[in-house]
Amino acid sequence: MLATTVVVGTTFGIVARQSGRDPLETVGMSLIVFAGAAQFAMLQLFAAGAALPLVIGTVLLINARHLLMAASLRPRLGRLPLVSRLAAAYVLTDESFAMATGWYRRGGTGTGYYATFAVALFALWNCATLVGLTVGGAIGEPRRLGIDFAITATFIGIVVLAVRRGSDVVVALAAAAVASALALAGASSVAVLTAGALAPVIAAARR
Amino acid sequence: MIWAAILGSGLATYLTRSLPFVVGYRGRVPPALSRYLEALPVAIIAALVGPAVVLPAGATTHGAEPVAALVTVGIVVWRRSLLAGVAAGVATVAVVRLVL
Repeated sequence: MLATTVVVGTTFGIVARQSGRDPLETVGMSLIVFAGAAQFAMLQLFAAGAALPLVIGTVLLINARHLLMAASLRPRLGRLPLVSRLAAAYVLTDESFAMATGWYRRGGTGTGYYATFAVALFALWNCATLVGLTVGGAIGEPRRLGIDFAITATFIGIVVLAVRRGSDVVVALAAAAVASALALAGASSVAVLTAGALAPVIAAARR
Repeated sequence: MIWAAILGSGLATYLTRSLPFVVGYRGRVPPALSRYLEALPVAIIAALVGPAVVLPAGATTHGAEPVAALVTVGIVVWRRSLLAGVAAGVATVAVVRLVL
């Protein structure tokens, strides 16, 4: 979990630098947005010159799953003072959620475990981003080395590793096919949001 | 525009993380809605992959991107490693561009 955060965070720093983001914007994304897949998606949308509502809408849909994770942690963290709850929410990620859920299932109690790991992951993610920025600045001729394909390859890896059941594969293939068809038909701007919002209906309809 | 997008995306993300901690509610999330929300990230990210593979900025370079996409899928399925997949995909694109 910690190693993955370092690897993906470093990759983000490298790819952000190579795709034309300046160091301040890159660090800002890791500090303010702090969501791996959404940050990579933003890089791709920025590079494509996407409009503001499209960027925010895509990030919102990618991160809507946090609603479920926060709702699931609420019985454990809900009794904290409001300020602590707001702080706990800021560092809620797939990884901190998974670690905290595992801890509570093993019989753990309290909020210290969640707080420790969630904050550690935040710190690691941001340190890794800085490392990536440094490395990324040192790579010349990115296109010749195929670095421009790194975002796409990262997305493919995220999707493949996220597959848990057959319907995930169907959802992923349907989303990719619909988005490609829309893009080829000239509707690039709405392709991702349309395909991304429609395909999960397949999962919702699953019995 | 970049900073507006970063701040707006940060706010949107924080809302998804904080709402259930702040707003009280009763009852459970309907299972179908829960499945929809769980499938959203995979769908959006796959939707980003599709056009990036068939229509990468400035057109495919001799079909390098579709080939590299298949290589990436294969390596990640085989090794269960994001880094190995990205390295293989990037290397495939570089080699195709070098050779053709």
